[in-house]
Amino acid sequence: MSQVESMLGAKRLTPQRRGIEPRFEAGGALAMAQPGTETSPDVDVEEKLKEAFARGWTVIVWNDPVNLMDYVVYVFKTVLKMNEQDATRHMWEVHQKGKSVLAQETKEKSESIVHRLRGFGLSATMEKAP
Amino acid sequence: MTCEQVNPGLWQLRFPEHEAAFIVHVLAQLGRHYEQDIGKLPPALRAYWQGSIGSGETSDAKGLQEEQEMLAEARAELRSDRLAMVETWISEYELAKKLDPWEVALTGVERDEFVAMLNDRRMQIALELGVTEADMDADAEAIPEDKRRHGILEIDVLGHFILATLGPQIYRP
Repeated sequence: MSQVESMLGAKRLTPQRRGIEPRFEAGGALAMAQPGTETSPDVDVEEKLKEAFARGWTVIVWNDPVNLMDYVVYVFKTVLKMNEQDATRHMWEVHQKGKSVLAQETKEKSESIVHRLRGFGLSATMEKAP
Repeated sequence: MTCEQVNPGLWQLRFPEHEAAFIVHVLAQLGRHYEQDIGKLPPALRAYWQGSIGSGETSDAKGLQEEQEMLAEARAELRSDRLAMVETWISEYELAKKLDPWEVALTGVERDEFVAMLNDRRMQIALELGVTEADMDADAEAIPEDKRRHGILEIDVLGHFILATLGPQIYRP
């Protein structure tokens, strides 16, 4: 099974085989449009599909005994452009569970986020999304 | 110290004389640390500055070899950039005509670097001393060993400087 098939679910037919065009909703969610409904040009769909499937890397921040809670929240807001509520929620998750998954991105974007988080002294890694 | 935003992209830091002397001492320590070859650092500090970019099934960095090398390169470059910043700030302090308060104007990027560097110093001390969560929760004044007590007190004090620079981030009603 290819990685793409694995992400879609092995038994699911590709949209093209079923004659249904994929479309993306706000937030990057993939939805299926019925034939005859408004669709994007093929090239955009292909690009968006590629991008969605490429976001197969997660960025993880690990707990440590030294970094201040407020500092961690500031770093999440600065590097990941999180709002205060999300940044605080992730900070607590790191503190209480030992780690938090902050983002699911492309390999390159994940790498860039890890670099920035480490620049602020946070223990950050990346791994392939399950 | 105080940190005041004077316009959308500029912050003014003001340190009373004794705090300025402390910060310059910290910067000098950081300068010596940044000058050191990463390969010659103690293992815990080396891991902090190098470490593995991968975790979980990718912890052996297979498939991430190129990214691992780029991280190592970026980390070495960061130390070199921060060393240059340390030298600039120490030089500005030495040339300053007025030291009470010592005033420093920082852009947003410089302000982020300033707090990240104070945090580097906190991490450096913690990793050298093997500081744990329990140490951080304990009463630092009650720690009998001088080196450990001084180290943890410095970590605490630097934490106050970081928060004074950034302001509180978590809403506490």
